Amino acid sequence: MFQTVAIAIFLVTLAGIGVHWIVFPARSERRGGVCMVAGIVHVFSLLLIEQKQSLLGALKKLCYLVASICFVVLAITGFYPLLVRGEHISGYLMMIHATFAPVFAICLAILAITWAGGYRFETSDCPWLWRFLRRVTALRIPSSEGPCRCSLVVQKVMFWAIVALSLPLILSIVLSMLLLFGTHWQETLLAAHRWTAVAFAVAVLIHTYMAIRIRMACEA
Amino acid sequence: MSGAGRPAAIVRQRGKKGIEIALRRELILAGVLLPALLLVGAFAEESQEPLGGLLGDESDGSRAHSTHLIPLYAENEDGEQGEQVTPEAELVLPFSTKWTCGECHSYDLIKQGWHFNAVDSNVPPGRYGEPWVYFDAKLGIQVPLSYRAWPGTHQPAAFGMTEFRFTQIFGRHMPGGGPGEVTATDVDDIGRQYVAGKLEINCLTCHNGHYGQDQGGVSGYAVQVSRQNFRWAAAASCEFASVKGSASAMTDTYDPFMPMGDDKEPQVVYREGTFDADGSVLFDIVRETPNQRCYYCHSDVYYAEKDGPTEKWSCDEDIHLTAGLKCVDCHRNGVGHNIIRGYTQESDLSGSSLAATTCEGCHLPEGSDVPEAGRLGAPVPEHVGLPPVHFERLTCTACHSGPWPGEGAVLTKTSRAHRLGTPNVNKAEAVLPHILSPVFAQEAGTVAGSGDTALVQRSGKIAPHKLIWPAYWATLVDGKVTPIKLDVVETTVKKVFEDLESPGDGSWPQMAEERLAEALKSLGEAVGEKAAYVAGGTLYHLGDAAEVVEEADHPAGAPYMWPLAHGVRPAAQSLGVRYCTDCHSTKSPFFFGAVGVDSPVASAAGGAKEQVEFQGISRFYAWAFSASFVFRPWFKIFALGSSAILGVVLLLYGLRALGGVARVLAEKE
Repeated sequence: MFQTVAIAIFLVTLAGIGVHWIVFPARSERRGGVCMVAGIVHVFSLLLIEQKQSLLGALKKLCYLVASICFVVLAITGFYPLLVRGEHISGYLMMIHATFAPVFAICLAILAITWAGGYRFETSDCPWLWRFLRRVTALRIPSSEGPCRCSLVVQKVMFWAIVALSLPLILSIVLSMLLLFGTHWQETLLAAHRWTAVAFAVAVLIHTYMAIRIRMACEA
Repeated sequence: MSGAGRPAAIVRQRGKKGIEIALRRELILAGVLLPALLLVGAFAEESQEPLGGLLGDESDGSRAHSTHLIPLYAENEDGEQGEQVTPEAELVLPFSTKWTCGECHSYDLIKQGWHFNAVDSNVPPGRYGEPWVYFDAKLGIQVPLSYRAWPGTHQPAAFGMTEFRFTQIFGRHMPGGGPGEVTATDVDDIGRQYVAGKLEINCLTCHNGHYGQDQGGVSGYAVQVSRQNFRWAAAASCEFASVKGSASAMTDTYDPFMPMGDDKEPQVVYREGTFDADGSVLFDIVRETPNQRCYYCHSDVYYAEKDGPTEKWSCDEDIHLTAGLKCVDCHRNGVGHNIIRGYTQESDLSGSSLAATTCEGCHLPEGSDVPEAGRLGAPVPEHVGLPPVHFERLTCTACHSGPWPGEGAVLTKTSRAHRLGTPNVNKAEAVLPHILSPVFAQEAGTVAGSGDTALVQRSGKIAPHKLIWPAYWATLVDGKVTPIKLDVVETTVKKVFEDLESPGDGSWPQMAEERLAEALKSLGEAVGEKAAYVAGGTLYHLGDAAEVVEEADHPAGAPYMWPLAHGVRPAAQSLGVRYCTDCHSTKSPFFFGAVGVDSPVASAAGGAKEQVEFQGISRFYAWAFSASFVFRPWFKIFALGSSAILGVVLLLYGLRALGGVARVLAEKE
């Protein structure tokens, strides 16, 4: 069942991104697929660009790059055997997966610390929501009158989803390594790891897509 | 038939053509009816002696033992039920279990049971089992034999071994029946079989509860079998009769039903007081076979312990027996004697519901509406900290059975291979045949079906095995290796190796390459084809310049492995109980333990493989995966640390968000 549902979720996500890309094209001089590819290249080559930022900025970029690479490796090694071959992860894939996982966890922790401030929700993020809440609850909720920055809001939501999902994602596998849980719970933890990984991957995909869009919008 | 009852006038009216048609119709009718009638007749014949319809075939439900005060019957010269055995008779014959026990228990049904049906090619061989090992140190022969079609074993006939000879060699550890009851067709054996009789199923081997049951004593069952006293063997084994003399010492013309009074001829003596006033004898028959009876054929000795491995006080029994179970609590059978072997696929093969007495059957039962966990007091394992992938890759026995793996697989003796429990056994560690265990190998498989439809099913799981490297002489024609009959080898190779010094411990003599070349040459001349020798996984044959050519890892020399299931160690002594590194370390015996390559060829002596070579995985992978466990603690530390940071960030910003909401709510107040 996991195989079918996970494939469906990924297809729906990718289709949703595709449709969104077509219906709401990013405001850029470059168009279409070329633009998308340029965005992805940009995301994955942040480190290679001449650094004009502080040491912390460089660290953040380094972490982001390493985390991105780790994510790709973990996603391939984790989902390929499950979704394509219909079997559990094992062999060299398992070893690669387990090698990149702790690096990814560390990068996530650093990114969470360094990015969390920037990803706080603000009243200017989604004015219509605050206006709606103020009208419904009659509370004095502060709001701004500017336009809705939907891409940014979605990116923020995805960021916090990534941070929140990373906890069960990491703990489900680490706890199973400790001498705490028997076979039944081992299987439950493994299932939790898989399902969380699917949700996590979807969040990362959307977050990355939004990052590309925002970057392209800035360039425009 | 139909025409005969009709008026003659009508037949006349039809004329000649009409008669022809009528006759043809009658022929067709007869063609249809006759086979049908024969079929009905066959069924009727069968229904006269229904299998399983005798008094003792079906239990009335009482768990009490039945008293067996019964008359003894001998077999007559025609192989039929003879007279009742009485001490006063002029000719005192050994009782026949077939006719004595067969009075109340369907012998024909029982002989279809697992212990007796090896020669029936229609019986699916099932999981690979222990072979009978024929060996001759001087001739460099060590070959696993079996009538069951387990790939890697050889049919005894391939070495020119008839059922009669096979029985004489291996019957010592058989409960009778099987090859022992096959009617001889070999010219030399026909006369011998009349003298020796057939080796009937010896019910007492398993079901005699009396301490006097003598299987391996100096005049017990095993010795009688080796003396060709097949007809007398069952009587000799029981507590109330003794047998002297030897059928093998008698000529083919000897008639056991017309004794000559010669001291050497086999004769039975019933102990005084055996028969009651009615001529009946009291047997101490038990339905549940005592463990000691099983042990006679199913004992193992592992040379893992340095001090006195053969001493029973120095090694533990299977934990199930220690806990109070009996062998037959799991290895059950009904009147058909199809004893449960206890492997997972067995229920599919046999269709028997009893086959559920596997490890999982008692310890991890599932899928039933009735709670079955803890059957027979079996604890349900927690397997704390063990990733479930282990259950896909390993059998239960991999972690729980056999000796704790040391630096390498150790020499192992089994009752049947080393005739343990019989007189004059060579107790040296290195005595042939050389069986090694535990070998953690990918499960050899289960042979489903039989004959041409036989199919080997492999689970791919790793299980502990016993292993034997075959060594035999063969012909090599167009790449095909065919064993040479033993008598040819004996007459040819024996001369070459005549002065070869045999070690006192019963191990191989060292076979130098020159001597091997000489043997191959003389054997080739004797059989008129290219001769070859298989040992230690290598095929040896002579090249164009009469030099010895070696083909390593030749399929004909592949080791035969069969899974070991006992003795089961307690959970606290299972592999991995201390930590993952019991197996996942770069020096763990599980992956990197040595498995000796056994060969009498001097140049191959001392060779070894690693356990991982039998597991279907690459050595580098096993090593790399094991090496990764060095970093496992760091993995946990980093992952837990990262989780803590992520949790704190979430908590911190969650609280700030909550603070914002609280502020808004507070303003309203």
